[in-house]
Amino acid sequence: MALSGVEIFKLLPKTNCKKCGHPTCLAFAMKLAQRQASLDSCPDVSEEAKKILGEASAPPVRPITFGAGDKAVKMGEETVLFRHDKKFVNPCAFAIEVKDTLSEAEVSGLCEQVVSSEIDRVGQKLRIDSIMITNASGDAAKLEAAAKIVAAKAPAVPVIINTENPQAAEAAIKLFADKRPVLYGANASNAEAMAAIAKNNKAILGVVANGLEELSALTEKVKGLGVEDMVIDSGARKAKDIIEHNTLIRRAAVKKNFKPLGYPVINFMQREDSLHEMLLAGVGITKYASIIVLSSIEKWKNLVLFTLRQNIYTDPQVPMQVEQKIYNIGEPKPESPFLITTNFSLTYFIVSGEIENSKVPCRLAVMDCEGLSVLTAWAAGKFTASKIAQFITESGIEKEIATKELILPGYVAILSGSIEDKLPGWKVTVGPREANALPAFLKTRTA
Amino acid sequence: MLIIGEKLSIIAKRVREAMMKKDKGPIQEIATRQWKEGSGMIDANIGPAEDGGEDLMQWMVTTIQEVVPLPICLDTTNASALEAGLKVHNNEWGRPLINSTSNDPERFPILELAAKYNSQVIGLTVGKGGLPADAEERAGIAAEIMARAMEYGVPLEDIYLDPLVLQIATSQDHAVKVIEAIKMFQEMNDPPMKTVVGLSNISNGCPKHVRPILNKYYFLMLMNAGLTSAIADAHEMAEALNEKKLLDDVLAGKEIDDAAKMKEIKKTLDVIMGNTLYAHSYLEM
Amino acid sequence: MAFTPTKETYAGKVYAVTIGTGDRAVTFGGENVLPFHSFEGTTPNRPLIAFEIQDVPPSDWPENAQKAFEGVSDDPVKWAKYCQDELKARAIALRLVGTHPDRENRSPEDAVKTVKDVLAAVSIPVIILGSNHAEKDTSILVAVAEAAKDRNCIIGKAQEANYKTIAAAAMANNHKLIAMSELDINLSKQLNILITQMGFDKERVITDPMCSALGYGLEYTYSVMERIRLAALTQNDVTMQQPLLGDVGMYVWKVKETTASEADLPQWGSAEERGIAWEAETATALLISGAELLIMRHPKAVAAVEKIIEELI
Ligand code: SF4
Repeated sequence: MALSGVEIFKLLPKTNCKKCGHPTCLAFAMKLAQRQASLDSCPDVSEEAKKILGEASAPPVRPITFGAGDKAVKMGEETVLFRHDKKFVNPCAFAIEVKDTLSEAEVSGLCEQVVSSEIDRVGQKLRIDSIMITNASGDAAKLEAAAKIVAAKAPAVPVIINTENPQAAEAAIKLFADKRPVLYGANASNAEAMAAIAKNNKAILGVVANGLEELSALTEKVKGLGVEDMVIDSGARKAKDIIEHNTLIRRAAVKKNFKPLGYPVINFMQREDSLHEMLLAGVGITKYASIIVLSSIEKWKNLVLFTLRQNIYTDPQVPMQVEQKIYNIGEPKPESPFLITTNFSLTYFIVSGEIENSKVPCRLAVMDCEGLSVLTAWAAGKFTASKIAQFITESGIEKEIATKELILPGYVAILSGSIEDKLPGWKVTVGPREANALPAFLKTRTA
Repeated sequence: MLIIGEKLSIIAKRVREAMMKKDKGPIQEIATRQWKEGSGMIDANIGPAEDGGEDLMQWMVTTIQEVVPLPICLDTTNASALEAGLKVHNNEWGRPLINSTSNDPERFPILELAAKYNSQVIGLTVGKGGLPADAEERAGIAAEIMARAMEYGVPLEDIYLDPLVLQIATSQDHAVKVIEAIKMFQEMNDPPMKTVVGLSNISNGCPKHVRPILNKYYFLMLMNAGLTSAIADAHEMAEALNEKKLLDDVLAGKEIDDAAKMKEIKKTLDVIMGNTLYAHSYLEM
Repeated sequence: MAFTPTKETYAGKVYAVTIGTGDRAVTFGGENVLPFHSFEGTTPNRPLIAFEIQDVPPSDWPENAQKAFEGVSDDPVKWAKYCQDELKARAIALRLVGTHPDRENRSPEDAVKTVKDVLAAVSIPVIILGSNHAEKDTSILVAVAEAAKDRNCIIGKAQEANYKTIAAAAMANNHKLIAMSELDINLSKQLNILITQMGFDKERVITDPMCSALGYGLEYTYSVMERIRLAALTQNDVTMQQPLLGDVGMYVWKVKETTASEADLPQWGSAEERGIAWEAETATALLISGAELLIMRHPKAVAAVEKIIEELI
């Protein structure tokens, strides 16, 4: 069972020496309890404490870093079944399958697609994370040849080698030995050989079995062979089975702390129909996959998958924020109304939606208040007269509008006087408290 | 249990107008009532108070202490207003309490003030951006605040940890998490850390007739968890204490005579503990 | 360590709702498990997708959505028949958007005529939606509910501001009712309580927690739906056991990703496929979080969602 922070604290040296990077042993203990720190960071912890804490503080889903350098992907560390309970931690990786039966040009082409797949969405860089090289030919030499092209054309991209043949695996994986690749798939009949290769090349081992019972036995066996880092595949390929297996795996890990299934999950989603493949991948994103293998990565499809992953992995505790700037709604003219609100995205969506409903073109200034709603931001000292005045002044909006009039949310009517003091020449008008009163408010103004 | 009288807040229209006009009457009347009803300290919430906050806080402190022999809880995000208030605070009637420091770097300097003026201080367990997800995160932030307090030379006995009560109408799952956090905070030091909550936020946004019911039983649940103080309406809390036995009986699974009361308590407990989803009409279901 | 699956048994169950009449009647809801968890309970009915049509031509839809209904969308009757006969729709959702005061401001009489004509032309179930103008909807929906009497339609949407009138009209004419609140689980529960306190049968309500499009707050709708389902199943909360509606098309076909051309944003790829994919993915994510009823626009998006449902059940 997991120990509480205070219970952990009792086992620490209590010297507050700060070597772990935390100000006190208590603060470090609290981080351990939240599974946000590793016991290794404290050099002075006793052997006895290590034994007790090691078990208790191990995350339910093993943290594993796949790949190396800038493009490495973190996996595992998940603690919940539902995103509203607590943030899903490490967004799943998308891998494109590259078969070794393809021509050199085709392999290079796919590598290029991966390298250029990166887009920027609401401040995050999103991309196809990985390439899976599959030994579809059954020929070890062909796998190695394809792997060489990938290593040359997409050198920074984390790689999965997919073969059940240990000889083929060995030759290909060597090319990525210092880059934390995944070697897939160890099964009941080749586990010893594959485990040895994974160990020698510091690879993460992809373990595949038929069903969860077999899978649990196999991960135990592989662990016994000295491989700790695994990604697991229950063999599920149909959407229905993927939901079932992924759910049961996550439940076993999180609710029962069942170690044999406490690893990141890899799902194979390749389908003829690209749109269908995308929807299937969506099932994986929402339901606990850590690596999703795709057969094609069209731009429209990537955009959908990146966006869904971003949505699902948003921290429900951190209010979603929109960018601080002045948004045009409709096509405002110099004399159109000018409103202000905070950058809590729900506030923004609702306010801008109501302005749209009103059909009155407007400018809406959205101010960075760390994603708090209007009243909360005011109380927290983030949406104050001087900060609003500074934002308006620095925005340079004065030059674009005919009358210097600012419409303030009704909840902070109290600020109107002092904003006027700080923004000479401006008139501040108090708008409605609730957004749904905006259409009527805006229409009577223009009438 | 220390009750910090909550009524003097800029959010309340009558109080705001009195503050603007520097009209002592309403302020002193409310403070006196809170004192008579059992408050051991008076909260003076002047909001962010960017302009003239120093003046306003000094005026509030002296205005209240003119008629009420109690210490003040100085409630604003404006550090220089706090300092101004601390300078005129009459420590004969007890040491002041600053509301608040937190894990937001903007609020670190507040600890300096606490050390300089030998004041007590509330440590609100929130960081920059985002609310704590659960009791563990609150305890984690509490540990950081405690470490920082020691750095600044504020004794842990002078810290009141505040887990941040959220509105049950929008963040129901936090009602239970706050209760858990109150238990955890106490374990984090020996002697146990002091704790405080801004109680009535629990029922903020709820229908008028539901508010006192939620406030009272939530207060009693927190008290059972070891809460040491609350910023609350002293009158309501006195009523709550009268009902403590009823609530404890219900918790112990005993029948109580007043069937209607029993229903009210049970339904409210279910909502607080997250066994049923909150809705404004939960008492009617 | 031997593996034993942790299966959940749930205390509650989602109400099954039947709409339409005769052999084209359709039932959705009725499951006693989380969506597609058939390994631990039963899901007797497939989720239902209704094609969205409207009383006025869809000039406000982006071109790629309009194109799919070229030649039929100028007339709601043609449009409805096309959905039923050519697209094999199991239901349609007729949105009376032309009644909005800022649009054509059509009258209750106009709306009644459209509804009667459409109902006469098709035999599949019809969902009748107002324009989401709380005030205008009361007069429109009262009139059309009566015009559609005994066709067992769904009438919507009742909101906090107008539920009394609309619920009364749905009740008097034997319809089902959509109750909509704005992305707030507690207000959603409250509205269901208020509607049932009027004497409206709780098993005839469909809950709309408000949709949001992929990339535009989808996670809010996703989590509200997931939490409603958990309350229904694990807490056996009878006020939250109504089937959930995802009114997908209208929220999806206005965002930049479904409207911007490939020429403007080459890095986003084909505009047509992007729009279809955006609608299909939004819909699928909502099915996984708890929706039993979807209202959608593009036939290809609907087909894709039907295909993934097939694989999920
Ligand atoms: S390194 Fe160890 S002893 Fe030092 S402060 Fe951290 S936990 Fe305490």
